[in-house]
Amino acid sequence: MRELLVMKNITKKFGDIYANKDINLIIREGEVHTLLGENGAGKSTLMNILIGLYQPTSGSIYYRGKKVKIDSPSKAMKLGIGMVHQHFMLVEAMTVFENIILGVTKDSSIFIKKDRIKKDILELASKYGLNVEIDKPITEISVGEQQRVEILKALYRGAELLILDEPTAALTDIEVEGLFRVIKKLISEKKSVVFISHKMREVLEISDRITILRMGHTIKTLDKNKTNAEELAALMIGKKMVSSKYKKVSKTKENIIALEHISFNKESKHNGIKDISLTVGKGEILGIAGVDGNGQSQLAQVVTGVITPHEGNIYLYGKKVAQFDPNDFINSNISHIPEDRNKMGLIGDMSVKENLILKSIEKSKFSLKKGLFLKKKIINQYSNEMKKKYDIRCSSIDQEVRNLSGGNQQKIVLARELEMEPELLVAVHPTRGLDIGATKYVHDKIISARDKGCGVILISADFDEILKLSDRIAVMFEGQIVGIYSGDNPPIDEISLAMAGKAE
Amino acid sequence: MKNMLIKIFVPVISVLCSFIIGAILITIIGGNPMEAYTYLFKGAFCTPANIGETVIKAVPLIFTGLAATFAYKCGVFNLGGEGQFVMGAVVSIWISTTLKGITGIPLIIISLTLGTIAGGIWGAIPGILKITRGLNEIIVSIMLNYVAILFMGYLYTGPLREGNVPQTASVPVKLGRIFSQSRVHYGIVIALILTLIIYYFLFYTSKGFKLRAVGLNQIASQFNGLPVKKFMLFSFIISGAIAGLGGSVELHGTQFRLMSGFGQGYGFDGVAIALIGQLNPIGTVLVAYLFAILRTGATTMQVGSGMPTSVIDIIQALVIVFAVAGSAFINLPKIRQFFSNVFSKPRKEPL
Amino acid sequence: METVFDIIFIQELLLSTVRMATPILIVALAELYSERAGLVNIGLDGIMTFGALSGFLICYITGNPYLGILAGAISGILINMIYAFCTIHLGAEQIVYGMAINIFAPALASFIYKIYFGISSTLVQATLMKTVPIPILNKIPVLGVVFFNHTPIVYIAYLLVPLTYVFFSKTKLGLNYKAIGEFPKAAESMGINVMLNKYIACIICGILAGIGGAYLTTAYISTYSDGVVAGRGFIALSAVIFGRWMPGGVLLAALLFGFTDALQLRLQVMSSGTPYQLLAMIPYLSTLFVLAFFGIKKAGPKANGKPYFREER
Repeated sequence: MRELLVMKNITKKFGDIYANKDINLIIREGEVHTLLGENGAGKSTLMNILIGLYQPTSGSIYYRGKKVKIDSPSKAMKLGIGMVHQHFMLVEAMTVFENIILGVTKDSSIFIKKDRIKKDILELASKYGLNVEIDKPITEISVGEQQRVEILKALYRGAELLILDEPTAALTDIEVEGLFRVIKKLISEKKSVVFISHKMREVLEISDRITILRMGHTIKTLDKNKTNAEELAALMIGKKMVSSKYKKVSKTKENIIALEHISFNKESKHNGIKDISLTVGKGEILGIAGVDGNGQSQLAQVVTGVITPHEGNIYLYGKKVAQFDPNDFINSNISHIPEDRNKMGLIGDMSVKENLILKSIEKSKFSLKKGLFLKKKIINQYSNEMKKKYDIRCSSIDQEVRNLSGGNQQKIVLARELEMEPELLVAVHPTRGLDIGATKYVHDKIISARDKGCGVILISADFDEILKLSDRIAVMFEGQIVGIYSGDNPPIDEISLAMAGKAE
Repeated sequence: MKNMLIKIFVPVISVLCSFIIGAILITIIGGNPMEAYTYLFKGAFCTPANIGETVIKAVPLIFTGLAATFAYKCGVFNLGGEGQFVMGAVVSIWISTTLKGITGIPLIIISLTLGTIAGGIWGAIPGILKITRGLNEIIVSIMLNYVAILFMGYLYTGPLREGNVPQTASVPVKLGRIFSQSRVHYGIVIALILTLIIYYFLFYTSKGFKLRAVGLNQIASQFNGLPVKKFMLFSFIISGAIAGLGGSVELHGTQFRLMSGFGQGYGFDGVAIALIGQLNPIGTVLVAYLFAILRTGATTMQVGSGMPTSVIDIIQALVIVFAVAGSAFINLPKIRQFFSNVFSKPRKEPL
Repeated sequence: METVFDIIFIQELLLSTVRMATPILIVALAELYSERAGLVNIGLDGIMTFGALSGFLICYITGNPYLGILAGAISGILINMIYAFCTIHLGAEQIVYGMAINIFAPALASFIYKIYFGISSTLVQATLMKTVPIPILNKIPVLGVVFFNHTPIVYIAYLLVPLTYVFFSKTKLGLNYKAIGEFPKAAESMGINVMLNKYIACIICGILAGIGGAYLTTAYISTYSDGVVAGRGFIALSAVIFGRWMPGGVLLAALLFGFTDALQLRLQVMSSGTPYQLLAMIPYLSTLFVLAFFGIKKAGPKANGKPYFREER
């Protein structure tokens, strides 16, 4: 087979951080080439380079043997590279037809020659088995059909290389089968497909070759027929330090929180949770492992009262929760380190001091008469104490947190949440984007909270972190808990397969 | 500290730039800017009566400015200041001309209170529609301005009309004057006390703190257990109430009766003043006072130097244009980064 | 006798409805073009005022109302470029900027007027645009007078409605344009130049709003005074919402606003005791009612009012 696209020594730096380093990738004509890697392995950066959204820091791209510079999405389109984004780029207020022809300048006519273009599109659609109702508005068609519109959109623009970013993420099983039929059809017509996915079963079913990325590097390109799920999972995750420097404890009898058959948005595999039952005891860390976007955000928001589950019950200290309100959960001594500290945890335009007391300002320690009088002196004193205790590096406690580094921002969240002396701590991606020093600091703090008897739900897409800290490990996949394992000497291979959806 | 500096820097520079452009305009049309500006400030300050006029002009602007500030602090836009101002005055004139048996200070207190409540109710409408129906508060509050103005027009041409001219009767009780030489009334005292209360509320109480938190980041506020929607509605009601009180005070202190043009433009002026004042109650008062100086001095300038008052309108408008552009410019991600790089020590490249 | 009076009354009423709806219609279309590209511009009143002044001035100097209209269009663009730069490039709050325009443009207009005509001049009269009856059609009883005996600007305004409809729903450019107000990121990914289109939107908005203002001083009345626009910009803004962002809907809304305006004026003339203000409230109240009970918000462009920055990291 001929080579369609060659990416040679592609490096992309953001500030001091390498998102991609010396990536080499060869896509042949008429193949399905899978990019496999954990979150943050550099897949999306690489694809954004390919479609002209980012410029590589160094390295070169060859298309059909010619060196090319892709500096805009329209340039990529002209070359024949089309992408179906994970979050569809469809204008909801428009019809399928309108979305497909958007921005296309195939003929010089001012008016849209509806009948003729429609005929072309329908021909194209039937050639690849892409059934779409061409005159319906986007809002009225299913997610699977929306995806077919996206593919059709790319094909109508003459795409020869189609990038599908997590295309099965939002689909039902039947829709996935349909998508695979389309992909096979595309291949038989000499088109090439770059397939991005975490799901081992799908990867093994559809791919011809598989390239594994880890921490911004290309690890290996394998032939589908010469590999298996175990090898791929091991390559993707890398060598794991099984021994953790933290002591693991076994589960105590006393439950702090118990979830019984909790569902939220259960039709959605990626923005919902389905029939989850689990318990967290006093002084243990329950790690929730899983690839991003398998319902972890929703789980975190249910157990902190931000969203109300559609089905099931939650018991706090043995008592059923009647109403879901974040404030009630806070008053029940539940702390939350949310997944996005800038959006959900901190008020960026407020000072370090103000963020530290955000939840506790009305406590008698900081104010009199229900907050009518603030004890400014004590607040300042307390904030300076916290600054020292949690090593928050800022010019003063009056500095706006927006201007602090990620690590220092997270320390503020940590200080606020841990100083409440919680009985349950829900920590979501607590070290995302932090450097090694800050990460270790956060880990130590979580462990010491546990040792004081706090129950911890640790949700993280960073498998190392889960292995290091968890006393028990639950794996989440498509909104469900697919297995619970001991955190002491955990079966790493089994867990990584479960994370990729191969629990059986 | 750095932020405080920028917050003062932007409006001051904007005012300076506006005056410079004003001077250029005056020169172009053959005038002498120094002479014109001298007349301007003479008009605002030379006699106690003039100083008094400036203060009187500042009073309603302080109220609507504070109203806009309060709403904005909670992250909602209240462009309905004018309507709330008018509704406050409408209820006050109705109460004080129809209520029999009560006179003097009790009547003023009742009238001001009911005016405040009326403004609050008028302000609550966009708030309720926003939190229950998700409607854009800007559009709703603008439409309610027109409804209020038309309603006022209906009253002074119809049911509450007195005499041949379309206007209402005069209020039976007026706000007292502080000095004998000028028309300055106790409205300014009410305005300043209110400013301090709002300042105290926003920066020295827990509820004010939470309100600001909601205004700056709704999602984080929700995650941290703050009742976001309640605060939004609350801020709309209070904002409306402040404007309503303003209308009431203007009626009892300065205008005494409703007629065509009452309260015209005060709502938008208030928003502009709040923005130039960097959404700080004290800043709002200062900017309102500046606007009042410009307005009182403009007439003297026109008479003295022959420069049309609209030069001053242009200067006022330019202050807004520059102040808002300045703030937006500083908040651009790139510029923010630039500033924080300038102000913080250079970081060493890690290996 | 009485029936004749009735017919004349109705004819006069409808005639003035059409005339009064015209500036609202033009300016509402201006806003429609702006909002379809995601830019809410509440500065229409300001742009109109400036358009009214420059239209009047040029008309006064040259004696040609058509040049006045042209001047209105050009000055509309100039004023709206302030809004365009600050909202598109600086990402400033659109509402705030619209408001700034509303304060700035009238001040500038008043300044120029006073400089040109002197501070305490009496009302100056300029040439008024003549009506151009459409042959044959204007002979139809009642309808002829109501619809076919106007200035060309009126015909153009009403012609703009179908043209706008065709542009948005039949042409490629119109489709791309709409995408920007709905989902700029998707538009950008399809190779559509978002920034350029937003500027074009501001130019169209400036032209139309400027013409709407100039119409008032060259074809409706022949004088200029401060406050001549009298909130028509905000009425136009309401008309866009009331008309659900569709050209046909906007036309109906403009006619409704024009009709209540006309009726209110007639009633005022007939007897001074009529509470015409209550009548004038109807358009606002009905807009509010429709907004509150029919969830109009999803009808508007999705990315309306939001600043757009190209993705950078």
